[in-house]
Amino acid sequence: MKNIPEKKSNTPMLIIGAVLVIALLGGWYMFSSAKSVSNSNTAKANNGNTANPAKTPGIPANAPQGATPPNQSGSATAMVTLEEFADFQCPQCAAMHPIMNEIKSTYGSRIKFIYRDFPLDIPAHDKSYEASVAAEAAGMQNKFWDMQNMLFTNQKAWTTDNAGYKATWKDYAQKIGLDIPKWENDMAGIAAKSRVDEDKKRGKAIGVNSTPTLYINNVEVPFAQLNVAGLRQIIDAELAKAAPQSQPAPAANTNK
Amino acid sequence: MTETPDSGLTRATAKLPIAAVIVALLGIADAVYLTVHHYTAEPVPCGAAFDCEMVLTSPYAEIAGLPLAAFGAAAYFIAFSLALLAAFGDRRMWKLFGVQVTLMACFTGWLIYLQAAVIGAFCQFCLISAAATTTLFVIYLVSIFSKPKVTV
Repeated sequence: MKNIPEKKSNTPMLIIGAVLVIALLGGWYMFSSAKSVSNSNTAKANNGNTANPAKTPGIPANAPQGATPPNQSGSATAMVTLEEFADFQCPQCAAMHPIMNEIKSTYGSRIKFIYRDFPLDIPAHDKSYEASVAAEAAGMQNKFWDMQNMLFTNQKAWTTDNAGYKATWKDYAQKIGLDIPKWENDMAGIAAKSRVDEDKKRGKAIGVNSTPTLYINNVEVPFAQLNVAGLRQIIDAELAKAAPQSQPAPAANTNK
Repeated sequence: MTETPDSGLTRATAKLPIAAVIVALLGIADAVYLTVHHYTAEPVPCGAAFDCEMVLTSPYAEIAGLPLAAFGAAAYFIAFSLALLAAFGDRRMWKLFGVQVTLMACFTGWLIYLQAAVIGAFCQFCLISAAATTTLFVIYLVSIFSKPKVTV
């Protein structure tokens, strides 16, 4: 066997060192570039805004869209969009329900409210997915909000009633005037389930991991601000930002 | 048989570590990009057939609070270093390279399974990384199984 003389060289270590340095510098350059673009966007977004609700960088533009059309109320052209991810068996979501109702009645057509189904995959929420499907099936008869209201306001009545929760929901369905056979048929069908799945896919993709999670103009609202006063502060700031400089938007009407 | 002194590679396969070096560099670039994305949370350009955000924001995208991509970058860097040393004639390094890429290939198989069966979505940057790892593994297999040429 003919051996090639062994090369004693520092060349490999120099190359390895160079690649390490290039990888680190390249990563740092990409990070700095992304950060400066992000900072400049944030600066634009926060121009004139004193209430900064930013906890996350926001919903990426290419995130899954969720159920289309979404369950939406308020004005489709409003400058402020609230998007809530909620679970029908989550007590905090039930507590959030009257807060959102108050916000909706206060701001009316100045906001757009989107409700997203986000049934959590936890044993205690064993009926949550089914409840979302029940609400979506009601939505197929334009009664989503009525069913959503029934499920949240009566959450304690059905959430632990393993034997009778379906009968309870059927009772709600009758109260809100649903065509029961069609509602039951839609609950069993794929369309209502797909809407729940689409919403959940969007939530997962943008990092929702608890409920309720609320976004205002694509920026997540810190949990501590999920109350009427906290939400009004953010919404007023967003409305002021959207209004022309010379004509500041009126603050929320507190007269009820 | 003609053999380089320390690499354990025949002349027919002596260029394989160089190919491995190049592929590992691609893997490093891909993994560094994904690591940076993780920290900036900027959306990555994603083809219509993919759902990158779904994959990159899944619970599997982190291990012990660190992005999986950072571990990938480290693994590719180790593979790159071992392949480079082997290309310069160190036989032991090629064996270590084999161990390294075998582990990486196993882990890649698990990641592909997660994307296909658990997350239900694919990310093309993750698939590029999987392709790079598979290529490194195949390169190593070729170096083992290729028959020695007739001795000069």
